[in-house]
Amino acid sequence: TGGHTTEILRLLSCLSESYSPRHYVFADSDKMSEAKILAFEQKRAEKFSKSQFTLDRIPRSREVRQSWTSSVVTTLYSILYSLPLIYKLKPDLILCNGPGTCVPVCLSALLLGLLGIKRAIIVYVESICRVETLSLSGKILYYFSDYFIVQWPDLKEKYSKSVYLGRMV
Amino acid sequence: FRFKDSLAEELQRADLVISHAGAGSCLETLEKGKPLVVVINEKLMDNHQLELAKRLHRDGHVLYCTCSNLVETLQAMDFSTLKPFPPGQPEKFALFLDKVVGLQ
Repeated sequence: TGGHTTEILRLLSCLSESYSPRHYVFADSDKMSEAKILAFEQKRAEKFSKSQFTLDRIPRSREVRQSWTSSVVTTLYSILYSLPLIYKLKPDLILCNGPGTCVPVCLSALLLGLLGIKRAIIVYVESICRVETLSLSGKILYYFSDYFIVQWPDLKEKYSKSVYLGRMV
Repeated sequence: FRFKDSLAEELQRADLVISHAGAGSCLETLEKGKPLVVVINEKLMDNHQLELAKRLHRDGHVLYCTCSNLVETLQAMDFSTLKPFPPGQPEKFALFLDKVVGLQ
């Protein structure tokens, strides 16, 4: 969704051409991310000769402040979509920064890894908005990601396994 | 206007920005080097928006008030006390990732 998309595109801005093709996965209810992604990729195509990317939508896993129990149900529903998608894409690397959408995507990737089908490296970057506490996605993926990056020192202190590189966006 | 794709033009021309505590609004404004007053709507906000606004205020980058004391804040405001906000560094992320995937 909006803010998350803007942030993650900034994170992607310095990545080399090796990070290709890029598969963007976002919520079906998200109206603004597609335009931002297309604009980003268009600029990128001006710098690098070719721009390989795809866009995929899955059902939104959770509304803001949705209750915990109903979130589990809606997330499971999203996994029904994300699992075949991740199986099809078989990513080497998953980058996410906290929208609810990243939970079914990462859980699907973990499952495929456990089944020996494809092991992806999961890199989670907590949003710049999170100074003192983690988002719900962050709290979950802190345990399931390979690298968990925070952007403020207070969080690095609280979450010892996290990586702190300073403010990146 | 209701929603625009980008407020970049308006931001560029502004001398002062008064905004809610949304991260996008705050960061975009600070990056353009405009003085910023962040207004917290305690009734509407969830705590996480407050975290960034509080931190930015603590670090001396923004002025900060509630709806009820906005007028006083604007009357008393002194932006010379504010510190410039250095931009984020996405290159650090790229460097880190290159090491992770073995490109370095």
